[in-house]
Amino acid sequence: MELQKILAPQRVQFNLKSKSKMEVIEELIDILYKDGKITDKEKFKEVVIKREEEFTTGIGMGVAIPHGKSEYVVEPALVFGISKEGIDYDSMDGKLAHIFFLIAVPNNANNEHLTILSMLSRKLMYEDVRNKLISSKSYEDVINAFKE
Amino acid sequence: MKLLAVTSCPTGIAHTYMAAEALKIAAKELEVEIKIETRGSVGVENEITAEDVKEAHAVIIAADTKIDKSKFNGLPMIEVSVKDAIKDAKGLIQSAMKLEKKNTYVDKVFEAKQEEKKKITGAYKHLMTGVSFMIPFVVAGGILIALSFAFGIKAFEQKGTLAAALMDIGGGGAFSLIVPILAGYIAYSIADRPGLVPGMIGGVLSSKLGAGFLGGIIAGFAAGYVVEFLKKTIKLPKTMEGLMPVLVLPLLSTLIVGLGMIYVVGTPVASINKAMEGWLNSLSGGSAITLGIVLGLMMAFDMGGPVNKAAYTFAVGTLAAGQPSTVMAAVMAAGMVPPLGVFLATRIAKNKFTKDEIEAGKAAFFLGISFITEGAIPFAAADPLRVIPSIMVGSAVTGALSMAFKCTLAVPHGGIFVLPIPNAVGGLLLYALSIVIGTIVSGIMIAALKK
Repeated sequence: MELQKILAPQRVQFNLKSKSKMEVIEELIDILYKDGKITDKEKFKEVVIKREEEFTTGIGMGVAIPHGKSEYVVEPALVFGISKEGIDYDSMDGKLAHIFFLIAVPNNANNEHLTILSMLSRKLMYEDVRNKLISSKSYEDVINAFKE
Repeated sequence: MKLLAVTSCPTGIAHTYMAAEALKIAAKELEVEIKIETRGSVGVENEITAEDVKEAHAVIIAADTKIDKSKFNGLPMIEVSVKDAIKDAKGLIQSAMKLEKKNTYVDKVFEAKQEEKKKITGAYKHLMTGVSFMIPFVVAGGILIALSFAFGIKAFEQKGTLAAALMDIGGGGAFSLIVPILAGYIAYSIADRPGLVPGMIGGVLSSKLGAGFLGGIIAGFAAGYVVEFLKKTIKLPKTMEGLMPVLVLPLLSTLIVGLGMIYVVGTPVASINKAMEGWLNSLSGGSAITLGIVLGLMMAFDMGGPVNKAAYTFAVGTLAAGQPSTVMAAVMAAGMVPPLGVFLATRIAKNKFTKDEIEAGKAAFFLGISFITEGAIPFAAADPLRVIPSIMVGSAVTGALSMAFKCTLAVPHGGIFVLPIPNAVGGLLLYALSIVIGTIVSGIMIAALKK
């Protein structure tokens, strides 16, 4: 999987500082904004939060994948983050979330990027992938976690 | 066991695929085959086909978007939100495995009907297309005429009465369209839209010339093939191609078919019609009974197949003249007997049928009284050598009795639901008796032959 195409080294954060769901969403969006992948922080946040309101993207098993599709996104991009202590993300299984993927997609994303995202989502359902992610120390570790 | 699933979420980026994967993992763990269609931002992937639906035991819909469920028609279904599939895929699969596939009897009958439809091709298909467009006209017209008769068989002769109006609508309106519609849609089936014009006009001419139903069939086929021929042979320059469908094809094909009807087909077919009408009217005693037997055998032989349809179409043809018909009466009665006979057999020989079959017999009863001969197909398919001869004998008896009693019918369909209309059936009690006797004969034969 060509995850590199949408996850750049400057967008991984192995030590998220946030303590709450709102904080972590902001922290992740900040990384995205600093890297120039979104044009309007607040507007994109609105979209992400609206999506959370439909039902939480804390899918359980320690994983959360906040995401938004919006005109304020320049190109499809991922942010990866780990929280050592875990964050109460209102997860489906009630457990704390440790692994975060923020997904930003423009309204007119091409299929290649969407396919990469769909593969990423699929792989997250496997325990060994999640274990590798939680113990990853470098950008390469994250990329390798998704390799077969 | 094979399961199907559809996953879909509003943004279509993540949950659709996570749910799909979760289901896949759970299915693997539970050792059950699963095919998962994902409807996400990439579009529909791994689409479920009609073939899959046929093989499947149940379907899980894990979606928060609108999913068209019509293609799963009849399959047991679990519907949940996409997040439930991520949360508890295993539980979902287990409950889907436990669902009962309720392939009901009526479903089977309609499946058989669909299969039959797919099989028909060629000239027979064109004829059936015409007939199927025509039938609603015959039904509407026939019932309105029957309603007019309800005021008394000659009530419509009094101008300005409701009876006269009903006769005008049914006889003057609906029935005058029967032959043009038949001919038009036979041609339509052959040559598509350009066939309609010469077909319908040929049909009108056939009625006018007294060539009736038979002439209409000839006109329809002629129109269809003439248009096909013209399409192939006339080559216009590109700039004038637009004239083909609006001017060239309708004009030439209508001219050819019209002249053909007037100078070639009309007179001989009109005399055949006259002869046949005379023959039908003069039918009595032995020959009428023989015709009833033959029609009865045909109606039951393939229950909705080509032989059955041939007898039925013939009967509708006798009706198209606008007179209640003995042939139509015999054919409808004989067509009701197979499912009714099957029903009776499941009642009188309960120990020879499974619980499911006895239950299915009830459905057959309702199909029978509605004149859906196909209602007997599942039983016949399960045990053709015992069931088919039994229903053929019963239908033959009913056909013969209906003819012998000179029962008449003014409508081409409707089963027992048209019987209460006064004068729709001539000789109502004897007609009902014919159906009952044939049913008893079939029922007893099936019960006796069945092991």
